[in-house]
Amino acid sequence: MQIEILNLDKHYGAYHALRDVTVQIPKGQFVALVGPSGCGKSTLLRSIAGLETITSGTLKIEGEIVNDLPPRKRDVAMVFQSYALYPHMSVAENMTYSLRIQGVSKADALKRAREVAEVTGLTDLLDRRPRDLSGGQRQRVAMGRAIVREPKAFLFDEPLSNLDAALRVHMRTEVRALHDRLGATSVYVTHDQIEAMTMADHVVVMRQGVIEQQGAPMELYDRPANKFVAGFIGSPAMNFVDGKIGEDGHSVTLALPNTPVIPLSRKAEAGRNVTVGMRPEHLSLDANDGQIEVAIRSVESTGSMAYYTTRTDPELMLVEQGRNRFRTGDTARLRIAPENVQLFDRKTDIAI
Amino acid sequence: MRPVKHTYLWLLAAFVFSVIYLFPLYWMYITAIKSPSEIFASPPTFWPNDPDLSIYPDVWEAREVPRYMWNSLVIAFGATGLTVVFGTGCAYVLARYRNIWVDVGLFLVLMLQVLPASVMVTPLFVGFNQIGLLGWPRTAVVLGVAAKSMPFFVVLVRAAFMTIPRELEEAGLVDGNSRIGAFIWIVLPMARNAILVCALLIFMQAFGEYIYSASIIQDQKLAPASVGLKTFLGPNSKDWNAIMAYSAMYVTPILAIFILLQRRIVAGLTAGALK
Ligand SMILES: Nc1ncnc2c1ncn2[C@@H]1O[C@H](COP(=O)(O)OP(=O)(O)OP(=O)(O)O)[C@@H](O)[C@H]1O
Ligand SMILES: [Mg+2]
Repeated sequence: MQIEILNLDKHYGAYHALRDVTVQIPKGQFVALVGPSGCGKSTLLRSIAGLETITSGTLKIEGEIVNDLPPRKRDVAMVFQSYALYPHMSVAENMTYSLRIQGVSKADALKRAREVAEVTGLTDLLDRRPRDLSGGQRQRVAMGRAIVREPKAFLFDEPLSNLDAALRVHMRTEVRALHDRLGATSVYVTHDQIEAMTMADHVVVMRQGVIEQQGAPMELYDRPANKFVAGFIGSPAMNFVDGKIGEDGHSVTLALPNTPVIPLSRKAEAGRNVTVGMRPEHLSLDANDGQIEVAIRSVESTGSMAYYTTRTDPELMLVEQGRNRFRTGDTARLRIAPENVQLFDRKTDIAI
Repeated sequence: MRPVKHTYLWLLAAFVFSVIYLFPLYWMYITAIKSPSEIFASPPTFWPNDPDLSIYPDVWEAREVPRYMWNSLVIAFGATGLTVVFGTGCAYVLARYRNIWVDVGLFLVLMLQVLPASVMVTPLFVGFNQIGLLGWPRTAVVLGVAAKSMPFFVVLVRAAFMTIPRELEEAGLVDGNSRIGAFIWIVLPMARNAILVCALLIFMQAFGEYIYSASIIQDQKLAPASVGLKTFLGPNSKDWNAIMAYSAMYVTPILAIFILLQRRIVAGLTAGALK
């Protein structure tokens, strides 16, 4: 294991910022920490870097316990959301700074910086000051500064959030490709679940200082542990409808008009109150085949995809491939694919 | 073109005001090289009829200017050095730690600034006397002046430190610096201009300091130039050209420093306004 976080707790005074957090990160893995704002992602990342002291628990990097080591002895590199480039140094000086502290000679450090600049496309910018760079270029310098060091791990705190949408999508693949080429171990904080899903090998979903679920992206998508993860992962978000398990335990009745009954492939406790989760792509509209009739409230089409909402309570969101076949105000029949339905306990929100 | 016209107007106004501000300085330099009778001539002459530069070497010798200037320099460098070394550390701590005690500390620091030197000098004299510091009067003055200029320095430099994002320091820590290393190599260079400007202002103030020196330093051999100037001023002093020559020698070095560093000073005072 490259990084081991065991039963970590962090208090800020009376505020309990991280509770019993355990994450194991093997060498070469790309781990994403996601969650809503204020859930403690940055705090966890900064704890790994040594910028925050942890209240209890164990933190190991390459098998060595680093709980009490200052940041400089942990040999990890961090890319900050604001990039935190040293404004009084040129790009080359920014990139070689950590090497020079380690005592690498100026010539060697510059040679390494040139190699990294080649990879990150900074060769022509080495003599510039950070203030004379564009946002995207600054982002590259921040990455380059981390790469030059060949650290034990890379820590990213929302590194792409200051870029425009197109560049962000482009940088996603670039960061991931760089990670693979370097054989690096990375921990990547983001509040954007799409970034987490597309980039990471292992996704950790947090809420209010607690890990709600962790695992491979598709595992979280297909088998969310609770309603929070189910709603957080996936875009557009999962639909939730109240339901009740039938007498036979093999069906669920939905609290929708005409109370559709959906067969279940597995057995559940008869009569139990549940929340039924249905992903937008597992619902479809048809002119005459389907469980219930719905009116269409709105249609959004991107050309390749059509997004519908229905005039029901609660409102349902659907996604279909291709052009929209229905328009606002149309009525259609709604088909629910029974094999993809998720069940959550109504009280505890835990998956059944 | 209206804007151009306005530019000329502003330039003209700037010129007029500069002349008004700089006139006393000019008057000091030319009065020094006038003859005694010409000084009191009416109407006054704006350029001496018979410039006599020999007044400078005469006063330099007779009034022991080198010794007085040396004492002024010792006091100014001592006070500035003390203020910068301790004030920078203090300002940094006050900028980085936020709690009620920091606010209390800052309030007390500002309180010190409110008290005028003439009020402070008697208690200082008594206090220095009791701990035997009056045996080293220049040291005593250095301490007094440093204490007096400390609040000004701390408040301004703290403001400069507060504009430096914490993340830069954290990046420094992760990059391999110790806490002190990050302060010296990341924070200090970024606050350099502000520190330099404040130090310069304090230096100039300390170089001209009078009240503490006059009351604490009894021995003329240890007195600074500001006190030395006083020896001219008797009830019927009339050698105005000598006084002006002395003054010119006193202020010219400071003016020179100011002019040499004025770009820096302006940059330091407007730092943060740009960004
Ligand atoms: N120095 C501090 N003192 C007290 N509370 C803090 C401190 N730093 C962070 N917190 C609290 O800890 C919680 C987690 O903060 P953190 O910065 O880790 O959130 P985050 O998940 O990174 O959020 P975001 O996505 O907005 O960056 C927040 O509620 C925050 O208010
Ligand atoms: Mg954060």
